[in-house]
Amino acid sequence: MVLDPAHGGTDEGAHGTEGIAESNEVLQFAAATRKALEAQGFQVIMTREANDNPSFDDRSARANAQRGSVFITLHIASTGLPGTARVYVEPEAPVPPNITGLILWDQAQLPFLNLSRKLGDQVQQELAKRFKGSPDTMQTAPVRQLRTTAAPAIAVEISSVSVQNRSDLESMVPGVADAIARGVAAFRPLYVLPGSPMPEGSAHP
Amino acid sequence: MSVKWRVWLSGALLAAVIAAALYFPALRRQVNKAKDITEKTAEQARRELLPVAPPTSGEPKVKVKMFWGSRSQEGALNPVIVELPLSSDPVLRAKQVLNTLLAGPVDAESRTLPPDAALLAFYILPDGTGVADFSDELRTSIPSGIQSEQLAVESIVRTLEANVPQVLRLKILIHGQEVDTLAGHVDLTQAFSVSSKDASGVKLEYPSAPRSLLPAPIEKAVEKVRGVTRR
Repeated sequence: MVLDPAHGGTDEGAHGTEGIAESNEVLQFAAATRKALEAQGFQVIMTREANDNPSFDDRSARANAQRGSVFITLHIASTGLPGTARVYVEPEAPVPPNITGLILWDQAQLPFLNLSRKLGDQVQQELAKRFKGSPDTMQTAPVRQLRTTAAPAIAVEISSVSVQNRSDLESMVPGVADAIARGVAAFRPLYVLPGSPMPEGSAHP
Repeated sequence: MSVKWRVWLSGALLAAVIAAALYFPALRRQVNKAKDITEKTAEQARRELLPVAPPTSGEPKVKVKMFWGSRSQEGALNPVIVELPLSSDPVLRAKQVLNTLLAGPVDAESRTLPPDAALLAFYILPDGTGVADFSDELRTSIPSGIQSEQLAVESIVRTLEANVPQVLRLKILIHGQEVDTLAGHVDLTQAFSVSSKDASGVKLEYPSAPRSLLPAPIEKAVEKVRGVTRR
């Protein structure tokens, strides 16, 4: 599992009331999600654990270097109904001719789109159970971070930094962590690498 | 120093003070004028150099479908019919509808693009790719987030799809440059499919609000939206 707390460093992401910055808050969500995933038996790698800002490509590379990984980027929006969470998956795009047999960096997500959709549905269902007003199914959006990731990859966006009290946002941490861990666990038996002859359930995220 | 020289020196100093007092207001006006010129950004200068779209008051008014945010469905777009005198030229037509989109609906909460953003240029390549060049404010003033950035791009794409059929796909530039993302999330390195005939762009699947959910007063109010172009 590769967990990506978005933004960081000089890029604070979304700003809200009470000085809430997306780049700081998202670290709390990531830390709790890491614990919940480890409790499910997953090995977890973080793209950042402090206030630094790796590039989009560096973050993707953490997942691309591991065969059989799963990538989740965590965001907090400045809009949206407070107390809800949405899962985004890369939309379909034309597949360019590729005779090399290698995965092209700029289109690394394309071979994994179907898997990402399955992962996205599982996680969104779990989020919708815990956060009323969240969508029932995952949505698509051309999120830059997802495009270069060669693994099942989703973005989870939580609303929002615009809450009146910081505690309203932080009260979502345990629920988001649990929903992601259970969603990934439900996805595990569905994860068969593209082109892999392995039977279903034998891959190890 | 003799008395005579002292008188001469005092007289010269007094004359200098009077001359300075008379010259100071004029100098201050010149400094303020120079300050105004230096504060003019490169972007303002560029806007002034851009050819202004010719007035289209002679064109007949047609019904134009604009896509702003829905107030009844979170994160969805709401098609609104507005009557505008649209040009028959596809490039001018695209500029007119995008400037109307930027000018925004009467209801500010339905806005999808920042009020201070401007369309700097629009052109159509021979392969049907529309290139829209926006000012920096599109990135810096938009609320950061996947949902808000996606809604902004989708409102542009849907509005072009509904009104300028010559545009098959859309490439968005910021101040003449390709950028990685709109405001940290939505990918602007690729072109977006505008027309269903296009097979080479990223296809967006953002939901529109169902017609039954549209608040009727908004639709009528937006018809009063002022002017076709912002500047």
